[in-house]
Amino acid sequence: MVENRPILTFLTHAILIVGVVFLCFPVWMALVASTHGPGALSQSPIPLWFGDQAWENYSQLLAGGLPEAGGVPIGMMMFNSAIMALVITFGKIVISILSAYAIVYFRFPFRMGFFWMIFVTLMLPVEVRILPTFDVVVKMGLLNTYAGLTVPLIASATATFLFRQFFLTIPDELVEAARIDRAGPIRFFKDILLPLSRTNIAALFIILFIYGWNQYLWPLLITTDESLYTVVMGIQRMVNSGEALPVWHYIMGTAVLAMIPPVLVVVLMQKLFVKGLVESEK
Amino acid sequence: MATLNIKSLGKIYPGGVTAVSDVNVDIADGEFIVLVGPSGCGKSTILRMIAGLESITSGDLQIGERRVNDLEPGERDIAMVFQNYALYPHMSVRGNMEYGLKNEGLPKDQIAERIAEAARTLRLEEYLDRKPAQLSGGQRQRVAMGRAIVRDPKVFLFDEPLSNLDAKLRTQLRAELKALHQRLGATFIYVTHDQVEAMSLADRIIIMNAGRVEQIGTPMDLYLRPASRFVADFIGSPAMNVVEGTVTEDRRGLLVDGSRDIRFADEIPATAGARIAMGIRPEHLSPDASGAAQFHLVVDFVEQLGADTVVHGKVSGTTVPLAVRLSGVQQHGSGEILELGCAADQLHLFDLSTGQRLN
Repeated sequence: MVENRPILTFLTHAILIVGVVFLCFPVWMALVASTHGPGALSQSPIPLWFGDQAWENYSQLLAGGLPEAGGVPIGMMMFNSAIMALVITFGKIVISILSAYAIVYFRFPFRMGFFWMIFVTLMLPVEVRILPTFDVVVKMGLLNTYAGLTVPLIASATATFLFRQFFLTIPDELVEAARIDRAGPIRFFKDILLPLSRTNIAALFIILFIYGWNQYLWPLLITTDESLYTVVMGIQRMVNSGEALPVWHYIMGTAVLAMIPPVLVVVLMQKLFVKGLVESEK
Repeated sequence: MATLNIKSLGKIYPGGVTAVSDVNVDIADGEFIVLVGPSGCGKSTILRMIAGLESITSGDLQIGERRVNDLEPGERDIAMVFQNYALYPHMSVRGNMEYGLKNEGLPKDQIAERIAEAARTLRLEEYLDRKPAQLSGGQRQRVAMGRAIVRDPKVFLFDEPLSNLDAKLRTQLRAELKALHQRLGATFIYVTHDQVEAMSLADRIIIMNAGRVEQIGTPMDLYLRPASRFVADFIGSPAMNVVEGTVTEDRRGLLVDGSRDIRFADEIPATAGARIAMGIRPEHLSPDASGAAQFHLVVDFVEQLGADTVVHGKVSGTTVPLAVRLSGVQQHGSGEILELGCAADQLHLFDLSTGQRLN
């Protein structure tokens, strides 16, 4: 398909533009809605351009609490979300890279048994094991703690599997060269395996950060204390605020704020990620 | 720099496959030993056992005065150059070379000194800050050698280090390797499947077949007096002519395809009726009727190479192909019959069933 016909060029662009508009319209609406006053969104037609309330809305969201969201300031919820996402991300990466290292490079009894045990948990998403996990967390007294919020989500078969597959592609000669160079298991891991896994780690960081940030069901179960609410929960609580009319301009503002960290992570890490992919290493 | 003693070394893999059995060799200090053989003959396994990358099932391995069977590779005072270089892709050339030294805990100034010297020897000075991916194959191989040199080991191990390079570069690096050996005066053990490489580099060659040593000797030993038919076939280019036949009643002739054309001046050291193989190198045959073995060749075609002429034909009265290398330009037409002979010490007789040398 290297034909150069103007009509085809026009058509492909038209399709792409429609797709972009289709995808971006909700985001645009959220941005627009967050800049209007409370009344503007309950009447028709819904405004499609920015209003003049942006400053007021956002300063209210960031500084003061909203009674509709239980009076918790958005900043606090963002902080909780960030803690949760970061702990989950780092925890998952650390645990899975270490377990993959053990499974690939060490010969211990029941090695494959352990691998399959980890692998089988791939089939069980959080939702399936949520009740037993909740029970464990309760019995350990971890309700309403950051530990309860993050630790049960850290174990990751997917990431372990990914690292395992990557480690298997590293030539044996490299391991042997390191052994001759007197690198013990820890040195080999630190000096050779970790730097080589850099791009994999970056890719996983993006995926896992978004996974952690967007967790909804688990924090909803595990936290009753308002100071531990995450921003995704906050949005949901604002929408279901009982008798009162939903405050759409605040909700949309919160949604826009909640979008910023994942977008930042993608934008910043993608550079490293793409660079790693382009820089084909031998 | 050290001697290396291998005593009844054996390797049996957990599956029960015997890769190497009963290898005995004493390697002198500063010797250049080449392990050669077809793929799967166990030569790499021996090298890897010396390196400590493969456990030793039986026998003893001594480097210097020390038994090293149970030492880690890093503790054996060896360095190894791999076939695919095995450079650390994320480290610069300098980083690759200094990694082992850093792990040894050598002071920084000594590391820098050794690297500078190795880089000068290998003409890598301007590449020290590059990554392996930015180097050509030959340069990468030199970095791999540099990584070995800086460690100043007792024994250098090479696992087919030139086989990923093109022919011209291989010849060039072969010469460099030989010069390096002379300069360092260290013990080199080198694995290859290329007999030309083995012949040109080695002080002594260990030729392996199916996990066993066929012969250990200088290149000329192997060339002039192969201990078995396998060695005779493997060493030499073009390959040795081998004619299989039955010893005649008077033990002075070879019966091939019903033809009694091949005659010997002396009695064959085998019983009448025994099946044997006669080997003569193409370059050792000459149009001379007074040799230890004589026969007639029916010419098929002639290759003119300038310096030599290679005549291809069949032993008279048989379908056994045979090549003769004559010096200079020689004219021979197809169907012409040449009378050929060879000297007694250039005639090789092997038992057909065991492959062992008879004379």
